[in-house]
Amino acid sequence: MLEVTSISKTFAGFKAVNSANLTVRKGEIVAVIGPNGAGKTTLFNLITGIVKPDSGRVLFKNEDITGLQPHEISRKRISRSFQVVNVFQRLTVFENVQISVLSRERMTWNIFTPSAGLAVKETDTILESVGLLDKKNRTTALLSHGDRKVLEIAMALGGDPEFLILDEPTAGMAAEETSRCIELIKMLSRTMGLTILFCEHDMEIVFGIASRIMVMVRGCTVIQGSCDEVRCNEAVQDAYLGGSDVCL
Amino acid sequence: MSRKTISGMGAGIIILLLFPVFLPRFYVYLASVILLYGLLATSLNLVLGYGGIFQFHHAVFYGVGAYGTTLMLTKSGLPAIFAFITGPLVSAAFGLVLGIICIRLSRLYFGMLQISLGSLVWAIVYRWYAFTGGDDGIHGIPMPEMISSPKSAFYFTFIITIISLYIMWKIIRSPFGSVLQGIRDNPVRSGMIGINVRRHQLLALVLAGFFAGVAGSLFVVVDNSVFPDMLFWTLSMEIVIMCLLGGWFTFLGPMLGAAVIVGLRTFVSMYTVYWALVLGIIMVLVIFFLPSGILGYAVEKFERGFRKPEGGEQ
Amino acid sequence: MDAVYSIIPAGVFSQVFVGLSRTTILFIVASGLTLILGVLRIPNVAHGSLYMIGAFTAFSVTKLTGGGSEGFWLALVIAPLAVACISLIAERGMFQFLYEREHLMLLLLTFAISLIFGDLVKLVWGSEYKSVPVPHMFQGFVPLFGGLPFPLYNLFLLAAGPVVAILLWLLTNKTKMGKIARAAAVDREMVGAVGINVSRVFAIVFVIGCYLAGLGGVLVAPTVSVTLGMDHNLIMEAFLIVIMGGLGNIWGALLGALIFGLTQSLGILIWPKFGIIFPYLAVVAVLLFRPTGLLKSTW
Repeated sequence: MLEVTSISKTFAGFKAVNSANLTVRKGEIVAVIGPNGAGKTTLFNLITGIVKPDSGRVLFKNEDITGLQPHEISRKRISRSFQVVNVFQRLTVFENVQISVLSRERMTWNIFTPSAGLAVKETDTILESVGLLDKKNRTTALLSHGDRKVLEIAMALGGDPEFLILDEPTAGMAAEETSRCIELIKMLSRTMGLTILFCEHDMEIVFGIASRIMVMVRGCTVIQGSCDEVRCNEAVQDAYLGGSDVCL
Repeated sequence: MSRKTISGMGAGIIILLLFPVFLPRFYVYLASVILLYGLLATSLNLVLGYGGIFQFHHAVFYGVGAYGTTLMLTKSGLPAIFAFITGPLVSAAFGLVLGIICIRLSRLYFGMLQISLGSLVWAIVYRWYAFTGGDDGIHGIPMPEMISSPKSAFYFTFIITIISLYIMWKIIRSPFGSVLQGIRDNPVRSGMIGINVRRHQLLALVLAGFFAGVAGSLFVVVDNSVFPDMLFWTLSMEIVIMCLLGGWFTFLGPMLGAAVIVGLRTFVSMYTVYWALVLGIIMVLVIFFLPSGILGYAVEKFERGFRKPEGGEQ
Repeated sequence: MDAVYSIIPAGVFSQVFVGLSRTTILFIVASGLTLILGVLRIPNVAHGSLYMIGAFTAFSVTKLTGGGSEGFWLALVIAPLAVACISLIAERGMFQFLYEREHLMLLLLTFAISLIFGDLVKLVWGSEYKSVPVPHMFQGFVPLFGGLPFPLYNLFLLAAGPVVAILLWLLTNKTKMGKIARAAAVDREMVGAVGINVSRVFAIVFVIGCYLAGLGGVLVAPTVSVTLGMDHNLIMEAFLIVIMGGLGNIWGALLGALIFGLTQSLGILIWPKFGIIFPYLAVVAVLLFRPTGLLKSTW
């Protein structure tokens, strides 16, 4: 479904992503792991058009989407959440998701119909599925961190994506919130049939939900394979795990 | 909107409508000026408070609207109604052109380029004696019979302002308005949910330019004159202050700010020539102690927890 | 030279050099503005008022000393210092609490202060036109450019510009203070973390920047009528110059001032009526092709 070929990006002399490769097949949950500064977020930014690559290609459903604008890529039904919470601070939870739904339904140029009555059902459905329905009228700035991270995912769902990219979905969450979030991701994959690409630091989560794993170190792809392949790969153990903890 | 606010607004409108009946001519003129400045400030707030775009030189569109209307009235020989339509449309066109040039720059640089382009327009108006009357401006512009007296000018201004405010209110409540506020809060996220950020901002700029042009045309009706100071950057700053003082995350804040500033200016000027000093002190106090403005503060106080207002963010 | 004058009239040269001397003033004021913008990130609209205060103080000093040329030299020392003192009070009393606020608020605050300063000037000096005499030493003209008389004072200004530029360069590049300020412009937390009193550095930079505004005011005083409103036109020009050159870059301010001054004086020659629009056109043209200014911005 997604095919990233030898993509590179240099920031002021620093090779953030260096000829990375990534393949995601339909229906999979793929995890990208790697130490801090390995270029995971930059890779996601390259795929979603927020950063333009220096070289390399991104194919989505056999269509070249390299270098398109973020909104054009979003229209191909690719959605993402951000690592640092990236929501509309001054709007309510409901409005945050509603804007996303309105955008998908191409209603954003409508300047006269009151938006209060538009896309209510779709928005409520999404809020219910992520468990934020009871907080729908709260201003986003007043939500807890965990709720905001979940709202991130809800906004991504508003675009009715086929392909969902989650950048450290559980970062900074409390233990209970984390397990709820993992259930949510599993549910999205199982019942809604979404293809999911995510990155995460917590290895337990990664090995718990990923069907395949891509390991990134210093901007390069070290290996791509099933959990077992990655677990037993020597290069990964050397480069990433430091060879200390042999069995994860 | 609750029934209470609607009845409150209704009462306000009736009081305003009775204004010319009771008040002397000077106050009728003053009320008209407040209304059109309020409209101008609200049109700026559409892009500044709701759109998060640093439109530093909004007065350009006000001035262009006024000059557009005036020149059509004095030079074209067409019926007056065309003049009142042309003015705002020319402003909207300026909004489009300036927007296209500036929109690819971010925040502060947008504001700076907008100021330089606006100053260019000002310089042309200031120098083009044959066409714009140069630094003298144009005075004694003939008005159609219907709106030539101060009273009828007031009613005309009043009706047009209310209609314009209503349309802007609808725009802010529309999907486009939601999207605009989303872009203000987070442009990157907006792009990622499929919104073409620049085009939406551009439409906002065109709309704001249009309504600023309407305010400009109304000034011609009320004052029967135009002058290049209407496009000078200090006026733009004053409009921004009106938004700030009233509260730029509220819809009626700019109108309130305009009323306070225009009203104060009139009364302070009766007693002293140091109006700018007073305005400066008020501004400093507002920036330090009331950063969300009068109406913003009231909303904060009475609806705590809902739509938390605060000074803008980076 | 005569061959040159047969192609380009000597009057053109004369006009260009008068324009260049005006550039000097623009540069001195704009360099102060860009210094404050680059290090403190304050778009200081009140900078123009300080320039005006400098000019009015120069008037008072020359008047008190009897209108002689000694008065001007005294003013050249005193007025910028007076402006620097005012700015120190404003910085300690107000700006230092606002460094973390967003640019729009700072812009409005400094505009408010410019309004206050403007009226205070009106209060102190009244609203009549004032004039400051050209010092004896530089009164009169010298024959330049095919014998056309060229005002001596403008020659003096032409010399003053490079002197200020070099002093500023020495200050920012060769002194410890300047190096700290430049580092603070890039990363103020880092500079604070190594135990330097950033607040004091900011105050000093602010005062130096404002001193330059006052200096510009004194230098311009003998060439124009000193009057209210001289701040509003100048501050816009200074901002455009700073933007054109690249925010925070002192050489950018020099380049910007040169472009601004030259397009203005040439513009007036080519098309007298619309001469004033050429500098604005130049700014727009520059920003269209280099949106962040000609030279590297510190932002």
